[in-house]
Amino acid sequence: MPGDATLVFIAISGIFAFSFYAVLVAGQLSLGQAGFAAIAAFGSATLAPAPSQVGDVPALLIAVAIGMSMGVLASIVLGLPTMHLRGVFLAIATLGFAEAVRILIINMESLGGAQGMPVPKVVTPAIAWVFLLLVAYWFWRQGPSRYGRALAAIREDELAARAMGIDVGRHRLQVFVTSGALAGLYGVLWAYFVRLIAPEDFSFTTAIDGLVTAVVGGSTLFVGPILGSIFLTLVPDLQRAIGIDAGWIRPFLASLLLLLVILFLPGGLASLVPRRVRMPAVTGTDLGSEAAGLETRQHPADGEPVVRLRGLSKDYGGVHAVRGVDLEVTGGEILGLIGPNGAGKTTLVNMISGLVRGTSGTVEVLGIRPGRTAVHRVAAAGVSRTFQQSRLFPRLSALENTLVGSHVLTRPTFVRRMLWLPSARRDEQRALQHAARCLRRVGLADKAAVPAKALSYGDQRRLEIARALAADPSLLILDEPAAGMNHVEAAGLSDLIGALGRDGLTILLIEHNVAMVMRTCSRIVVLNFGEVIATGSPEEVAANSEVVEAYLGSAEPEGEPR
Amino acid sequence: MRTRRIIGTTAAVTLTLTIAACGSDDGGGSGDGTLVGEGSGADCEIAAAIGVGAALSLTGAAASYGESQRNGLELAVADLNEEGGVTYELTVEDDQTDPRQGITVFEDFTGGDTSIIIGPTLSNGAFQAQPIAQEAGVPVLAISNTASGITEQGDYIFRDSLTEAQVIPQTIALATETYDLEQVVVMYSNDDAFTESGYEVFASSLESEGVEVTDTLTFSVSDTDFRPLLTEALAAEPDALVVSGLIEAAIPLVTQARDLGIEVPIIGGNGFNNPQLMADAGAAAEGVVVGAAWNSTSDNAENVEFLDAYEQEFGGPPDQFAAQAYAAMTIIDTAVRHNCSGERDDVQDGLNNIADLPTVLGSLTINDDRDAEHEAVVQVVEDGAFAVLG
Repeated sequence: MPGDATLVFIAISGIFAFSFYAVLVAGQLSLGQAGFAAIAAFGSATLAPAPSQVGDVPALLIAVAIGMSMGVLASIVLGLPTMHLRGVFLAIATLGFAEAVRILIINMESLGGAQGMPVPKVVTPAIAWVFLLLVAYWFWRQGPSRYGRALAAIREDELAARAMGIDVGRHRLQVFVTSGALAGLYGVLWAYFVRLIAPEDFSFTTAIDGLVTAVVGGSTLFVGPILGSIFLTLVPDLQRAIGIDAGWIRPFLASLLLLLVILFLPGGLASLVPRRVRMPAVTGTDLGSEAAGLETRQHPADGEPVVRLRGLSKDYGGVHAVRGVDLEVTGGEILGLIGPNGAGKTTLVNMISGLVRGTSGTVEVLGIRPGRTAVHRVAAAGVSRTFQQSRLFPRLSALENTLVGSHVLTRPTFVRRMLWLPSARRDEQRALQHAARCLRRVGLADKAAVPAKALSYGDQRRLEIARALAADPSLLILDEPAAGMNHVEAAGLSDLIGALGRDGLTILLIEHNVAMVMRTCSRIVVLNFGEVIATGSPEEVAANSEVVEAYLGSAEPEGEPR
Repeated sequence: MRTRRIIGTTAAVTLTLTIAACGSDDGGGSGDGTLVGEGSGADCEIAAAIGVGAALSLTGAAASYGESQRNGLELAVADLNEEGGVTYELTVEDDQTDPRQGITVFEDFTGGDTSIIIGPTLSNGAFQAQPIAQEAGVPVLAISNTASGITEQGDYIFRDSLTEAQVIPQTIALATETYDLEQVVVMYSNDDAFTESGYEVFASSLESEGVEVTDTLTFSVSDTDFRPLLTEALAAEPDALVVSGLIEAAIPLVTQARDLGIEVPIIGGNGFNNPQLMADAGAAAEGVVVGAAWNSTSDNAENVEFLDAYEQEFGGPPDQFAAQAYAAMTIIDTAVRHNCSGERDDVQDGLNNIADLPTVLGSLTINDDRDAEHEAVVQVVEDGAFAVLG
């Protein structure tokens, strides 16, 4: 039978788990939370007025405000220099921070050293659960917002998220700071419940406990941390209730149970909660309605310059991947870029989309300078692309993938969702409509709910195009979209690209399938050994002797898909 | 739809937990009358078994102490139940050296039908858990908490363990006299509440004895390599090393010190007061001086009997934690018999009337501050066993 203490520990362990969930949803592994909690606990216990002076609840609220602010400050101070770290490196750096905080507190006599510091007990189960529910509410509203989708995209594939216009650095710091604030809240609630805080309460084990709670509960649905906390807090209680002898057997059984949960529910306990992807009824059929109601951009008119390359080169060590390329793409054009393997096609489009910076020469796309501008700004300017190797967000549904594509078009909805403003719902509906139409455009309307990783190869390539289209791009870059498709699929794709071109989209198509390029493109550029060897209409290029030689010289027969 | 279902689930879970919490809040076994018996003192007979709850660290960082404590308690309860008249039902729970478990276990005990709670093992945990019993009006007997301020938490909190402040000054005074100490090097682990508070008492005792501290070195409870620190200590040419550390640190520290040629006495705190030191450090342990609340070599009848019974039951000698646990049950039994009642308030009253009680720790009195007073002993390791110094 859970008593008061059990109820409180479920709530505050849940809040601590949420501080891990906050970063895990964005694919970040941080272990600094114990440090933030320690700073908040000792800081608020030192600075906040005593409950005997101002009353229990006001004292706690002041302490919470102090603790959360300190958590935020600490996470900014730690986050700024460490946000470029990834995976285990970030985990180690943040762990180092937490350990440093603990050592510092041990050696600060004013905080009681290892013997800790007494704190009045104020927190009751009701107070703890109110805080837990507020935090859970925050993440419930965050999940399906534009912000929440951006975080999921970063978790699934950071580079693709960047290319879809998501400012990865800012989002990563935001979640890190959220995590710091929540860890701070946990630290304060802990302090005001357990009566004595000691540095050992905020050790490495504490951090691991929080991480395990979040992972066991599930780090993709907001109820996860609560479920994890209920589970892990009740296991010892249940063992006591059943009457298992106190001693090593209990932690052993608990660990075994943990192992079983992770083995059979890799998505955590929250994966038991059924999820349904809402596919909205698609209304409107004409192409112009695709972006209806969204902040559409002004596309360059026919003939206006979209891309302008001047003497663009890229060297990798001694290898000249791209050499002195001059190229111009104008509005409404479908430009084909062909060339044998290793000719530098992908390097060239990576420079145009800003993923790679040229060694010399200039790139100007839609008025900005990719390579000198962050990738997400290039995307925001209207450059959208697919990748040679599909870079979808594998665990997100087709519809969610496409919704991420519309990131640059849509307005933030998280704060408005929290306040239940009708405009947020309207915006979300519009984004859904838009995404659904983009899916239908590529023929995936009936696969909206399927996770991207479960789609067939051809469908994945189509989904990538739908995602790129969802950004309402002024320049669409397709990097070998037909690779791996059969002739029928390739023909369908060719028709789709032609139709998009007729809608006025400027398209840069890189393709091995020369026949398809000939059929689809209005102009073709041929690259060999990093240099442009021919430019012109399909007929001119086909007749060019240098081109024929380049292709005959390569091992790959012309016109065959790989 | 989905979100609605989730809200529903969460609400249902919350509700279930709330109802369950209310259900358990039925005040426990006090007041039903069967805990009050007939007669008094040795003749007291109580029909119902007296519930004794012990929250010990059986797993986690302090597990080695908790295990000894459990042994001591179980042995004592078996002895008392055999004697008859008043019987005890001992429930040992594990706090996993985790404040969450300590608090929860204490709450379970106060909500159940325990007449008295023993524990928890560590002082930090005591400050977190014992107030729950104080608020619920359940007497607590601390059996290993040595920090100051434990019994100041309230009038239901008692202890039979001597504080560092009671033991260490005697140790330093006697060692200073025996070894003519003039200058020492002090080492302690500063990230543990027990060893840190022990250090503080060492420092003030050394000062009042006029012994110069040439260097103070700190280490972590988890350290096992002390050679760099010991080399530093050796350079200071001390007359003795004074160490406040747990047994886990004591064994490698003592071994490495002797390896490095430090032959001076090593004066340890309560953490060193463990037969494991001689078992694991062997000859290196010779000359280690330890102040203790329990004289293992004492020939008082209670102690001789205890040593025998413990050895027989568990196949090894008891340590101070086991002795203090054993003594706790002697104290509780006397307190219960005082009013011939297992009611919580009667037990509290009984504990306030413990005076000159013969226990394995010696003749023991609980003073007005609810702290135990009995003779401490300064021991030195000689021929692989503790002997009384001086």
